Amino acid sequence: MFRYQRSILLGLTAFCLAFNSPLQAKEQLVLAIGGEPEQGFDPLLGWGQYGSPLFQATLLSRGHDLAPTPELATAWSLSEDRLTWTLTLRDDAYFADGTPLTATDVAYTFNAASSAGGRADLSALQAAHAIDRYTVELTLKAPRITFIDQLMTLGIVPAAERENGYGDHYGRQPLGAGPYQLVEWQEGEQLIVERNPYYYGEPPAFERLVFLFTGEDTTLSAAHAGQVDLAALPPALAANLPTHMQRVVMESVDNRGILFPMQPASGEHAPSGAPIGNDVTADIAIRRAINLALDRETLVDVALHGYGRPAFGPADGLAWSDTDEAFEAPDLTRAHTLLDDAGWELRADGLRYKDGQPARFRLTYPASDTTRQLLAQVSADMVRPLGIEMQPTGRHWDEIQREALHQDAIVFGFGSHSPQEVYYLFHSQHAGFGFYNSGYYANPTVDRHLDAAQTAADQETANQHWQAAQWDGETGYGVRGDTSWAWMVNLAHVYAAHRCLDVGELGIAPHGHGWPITANLQTWRWTCD
Amino acid sequence: MRLTRWLAYRCLRLTLVLFCVAALAFGLVMLSPIDPVDAYLGPQMAQVSPEQRALITERWGFESPPAVQFGHWLRQLLSGELGWSHIYNQPVSEVISQRFYRSIMLLGSAWLLSVVVGFALGVIAGAKEGSTLDRVISGYAYITASTPTFWLGIVGLLLFSVYLGWTPICCAGPPGMLSQEVSLLTRLHHLALPVATLTLLGIASITLHTRTRMIALMRSEIATHAFAQGASRIDIAWRHGIRHASLPALTLAFASLGELFGGAILIEQIFAYPGLGQATVEAGLRSDVPLLLGIALFTALFVSVGNLIADSLYHLIDPRIEQGPL
Repeated sequence: MFRYQRSILLGLTAFCLAFNSPLQAKEQLVLAIGGEPEQGFDPLLGWGQYGSPLFQATLLSRGHDLAPTPELATAWSLSEDRLTWTLTLRDDAYFADGTPLTATDVAYTFNAASSAGGRADLSALQAAHAIDRYTVELTLKAPRITFIDQLMTLGIVPAAERENGYGDHYGRQPLGAGPYQLVEWQEGEQLIVERNPYYYGEPPAFERLVFLFTGEDTTLSAAHAGQVDLAALPPALAANLPTHMQRVVMESVDNRGILFPMQPASGEHAPSGAPIGNDVTADIAIRRAINLALDRETLVDVALHGYGRPAFGPADGLAWSDTDEAFEAPDLTRAHTLLDDAGWELRADGLRYKDGQPARFRLTYPASDTTRQLLAQVSADMVRPLGIEMQPTGRHWDEIQREALHQDAIVFGFGSHSPQEVYYLFHSQHAGFGFYNSGYYANPTVDRHLDAAQTAADQETANQHWQAAQWDGETGYGVRGDTSWAWMVNLAHVYAAHRCLDVGELGIAPHGHGWPITANLQTWRWTCD
Repeated sequence: MRLTRWLAYRCLRLTLVLFCVAALAFGLVMLSPIDPVDAYLGPQMAQVSPEQRALITERWGFESPPAVQFGHWLRQLLSGELGWSHIYNQPVSEVISQRFYRSIMLLGSAWLLSVVVGFALGVIAGAKEGSTLDRVISGYAYITASTPTFWLGIVGLLLFSVYLGWTPICCAGPPGMLSQEVSLLTRLHHLALPVATLTLLGIASITLHTRTRMIALMRSEIATHAFAQGASRIDIAWRHGIRHASLPALTLAFASLGELFGGAILIEQIFAYPGLGQATVEAGLRSDVPLLLGIALFTALFVSVGNLIADSLYHLIDPRIEQGPL
């Protein structure tokens, strides 16, 4: 009986403590930024592709400019034939159970991940070998410079054959050499982690992190109740913050743009059964006129509540994107001239026609996404004065795939920390595959640039080729070349952070709001005492 | 003897029902237009090479024809396995047992409360037929019987959690607290609002049912006889009524388990309470065939057993009821 009373008292005390954070050194940070992986914290199945993997260490990490910086690997090189990465590991890395991390674990992780069939994509890997205790070799099937992404995102797990090694239950009992170790994961609710005493790096400022996996509304209520130190917010709710919190805005390449079908309608169908081609958008004059008509600043204000910036390409501001893609818009005069010269005549009904074909096509967006709906409707209004009628059409993703994907203009969102995405979006070999090059864009010169980038000796050289694919002075997928897209906006991701929480210098976020903010978790500080 | 035969017949019927439920659920999943690979990848669907997609399809068995998938699942079931959930990457039986443990706390307490409170209110209203109290109780029952659960839940959340701050906003425990640290009191505090909402839903039908029974009793010869001997209404309600109305009420309670289950799924969504309800929604939206079938079977079993108990109780109360076709 007495034991019972004590536990009730304890519970009450803890309960009260949970509601007012004491003003001593801050040991526990509570975050509500989503990102719960239902499969658990298993890197082989895709945990840690964005932001901090928390539990596991990676071979390299992305520095502030997304360039590779040392983590577990202190040195790395790519062979002359671009097929083999050789990495030297540090000798002071330990798993959270105190056992050393060696090349065996790294080789195991990469080999297992390539056959795991999860979200971590290692299909480019031939095999990984431990050369000696601290040297590992990764051999690829074909040259692919973007394989370096996997070195920066794949968390290293303990080899299966050792004690505490990788197994079926790893996702729920992760063991790694990262800054934190798991204390408890209450599925669907919260994750509690504490510092890993064996971590090789600078110990993080907070002893304990709590991640709440709550929905948008609940997160906001919890922030108002003072229970959360950092919360991801939809821009629409960012206006009204509790007094003890400040807005933290993270720039991103999480972009939205209009993809155009590039081929005229020929009656052909993709493997999925969706018809290919659109006679209106296949005309470059139409695509350029739309690009000139979009007032991107207004789109940011109206659809994103001001949280964003204009977009002119798939990776604005990143090293593999051409810096000169931006242009003056809106410029309706130029757009009108363009259309007149291309033979699109304006008729009395306010529409343009060419060879009896009206300048009319569907602008399809996923019906569940209100931001894209707004973007579609507002941009249709901006284009209408030109005599071009884009018809905003909301559909479910599955219907888009079966019907619209290759014949309608589509409001897409992409944005990645890796140039691999550019390869997927514009290489003709990916035409009609899933959501990648779904406009069937094909330009042999662009293909050559993209392939040259993949076979480059290092990232710097590759970046020059990636940029050339966008515009090489003659042609490219960008606005000066084939104008394959009309990019609209890059979102900014909004968070509410406690006034005392310093989140350091945030990098640039990829597609996806929430977990990516943890990329520089190590540098976060509490500034009040 | 006849009872045993009747029970055997019922069990056979139950097996058939379960099979039909599984087949139907499977058919629905197969008709769903969702691409399981896209559903699996979620937001990362634009980061994966064609080769990797093929590997995912192979690893989780997305590509085999429906009949083969169903046959495979049935074979697994007969060997006592419910299969592997690709959403949670753990055996379906584990997913269900983990989450059902949470749901049963919610469901069980709501069920008990609604039986007890509903019965008491029904007895009171029936005993005092036509009084103000009766009118208030039956009015309340009619209103709640026609109130949508989710609406009630949202209103409760706004009023008690956001506006008044009396109850927690979500979840089954406070943020940052380990499971073993959470006291019973805190657990109950977190359960209070979802249970209250679900109880309000369950009370109405039991109240109205019990009230009707009581009114019938009050007009019966037994009551007339007792009145003649100078007993008061309360005496009669207490001495005859309760016995008279309790079994039917219990029967109804068991029979309404299905509704309660449906209500619980909605409630869990609203209160972000991580039970079976949330897993069901995930499984449906992301084409997790083994998990959805597992949950469908489990739910059907749960509801059928409730109905079986209800039927058996009826037989106990009133032997005149036909005992099936035997």
